[in-house]
Amino acid sequence: MEEKGFEKLERTIENLLVKMIIRVTTNIPPDVLKAIRKAKMQETSELAKTQFELILDNFEYGCKNKVPICQDTGVLNFFIRIGNLFPIISNYRKIINKAVIRATEIIPLRGNSVHPLTNQNPENNIGLNYPPIYLDIVDGSENLKIDILAKGGGAENISKLFMLNPSNGLKEFPQKVIEVIKNASGMPCPPIILGIGIGGDATKCMLLAKKALLRPLNEKNSDRDIAKLEEKLLNKINSLNIGPMGLGGNTTCLGVNIEIAMRHPASYPVGMIVQCYCHRLSSIEISKRGEIINES
Amino acid sequence: MKANISLPIEDERVMSSLKIGDYVFLNGTIITARDQAHKRILEYQKQNKDLPESLKKINGSALYHCGPIIKCEDNTYRFISGGPTTSQRMDKMENDVIRLLGIKFVIGKGGMNSLNTKNNKVVYLSYTGGCGAIVQERIEYIENVIWKDLGLCEAIWFLKVKEFGPLIITQANGKNLYK
Repeated sequence: MEEKGFEKLERTIENLLVKMIIRVTTNIPPDVLKAIRKAKMQETSELAKTQFELILDNFEYGCKNKVPICQDTGVLNFFIRIGNLFPIISNYRKIINKAVIRATEIIPLRGNSVHPLTNQNPENNIGLNYPPIYLDIVDGSENLKIDILAKGGGAENISKLFMLNPSNGLKEFPQKVIEVIKNASGMPCPPIILGIGIGGDATKCMLLAKKALLRPLNEKNSDRDIAKLEEKLLNKINSLNIGPMGLGGNTTCLGVNIEIAMRHPASYPVGMIVQCYCHRLSSIEISKRGEIINES
Repeated sequence: MKANISLPIEDERVMSSLKIGDYVFLNGTIITARDQAHKRILEYQKQNKDLPESLKKINGSALYHCGPIIKCEDNTYRFISGGPTTSQRMDKMENDVIRLLGIKFVIGKGGMNSLNTKNNKVVYLSYTGGCGAIVQERIEYIENVIWKDLGLCEAIWFLKVKEFGPLIITQANGKNLYK
């Protein structure tokens, strides 16, 4: 009896994942759409305006016809937060792989899993340690929350890890970030969204940077000092005049989200993950009976 | 200025009239080529191997930095989505590839550092990154494909396009529009 209940829940999750992958690749979250519309209004150059017009037309076309907005359907990052009171399911990898294979066929997605030594591409978006899955346990919750973030290659290539000198603290940090963005110019498909992780260790700060991208664009960090740092960086980046696609303009960045963690006394790691304007994100929260509580 | 251009380019005067900041719409057959296709073209040259016939006929046309989504159904191909990929990854290889194929336009995003656009022998066109879905409307049909063994997004797709654009001339005659 118990066994059967689990199988049903697993199938429910798999079906929901397929639905989410369709949504994440053929839709654009409302906060991103709003930010792009606002950016278009703020441009004075005709070149920049044309870029935003085409971007908005393409969003509309993709959403309406259920066609991947961007051909780079990215690395699908799965963030799974399991309530400690949610039934224990141990085969998330298997469920996700099944959903990814199905979605790749249905939508269809581009085959984005390539063997690093042989260059072989199974064209099904799964393989060795792929796609990335991040599991967290949430105390006191009976629910399961899943976020899927589609990360394209062009923006991901600009991501960086800095190991700063602890005695200088964050002093050099804004300049370092600005240099990276400046050198990247049009490559990451600006206007970008920037996720930053401060502290932890080399892996933790990169993960925090990626998780920071899950926070909506209109939501600042609840810590006032960090929120100020986010604002300061955003304004600095937007004064660079890189603009949409590097062709000049007032909007180079749609948002900066920072998360922090404690650090080792000798290390001051800072991770930055760059996301393109085509910031594709989908979330769902389900109860232990498999009912949808929230979805976006 | 907005120009509708037919490919292949047969009259050099069309090229010499192009300048940065102008908008262009392309008509005719273009090819997609990204990292692995560039690498293979240059391997052919290095080994003195004859290029596939279809590539020899692309003289005067456009090379698109793009790894599209293509649906294969019963031996037919359907174009799903295909915006540009970052051109700078092909930077070191492009001048040689262009010379070998006789390419007149490179389409991509972000521009290139070493592309030699002097005297408009070749012109760089920027297509808006991320705008893959809407390209569907501009593809009349898929004419041919070669080197599928590189993977579907790395293969060379021959696309018959109609009014593909707006493409912005961002690098021409040694000048550059990028910030």
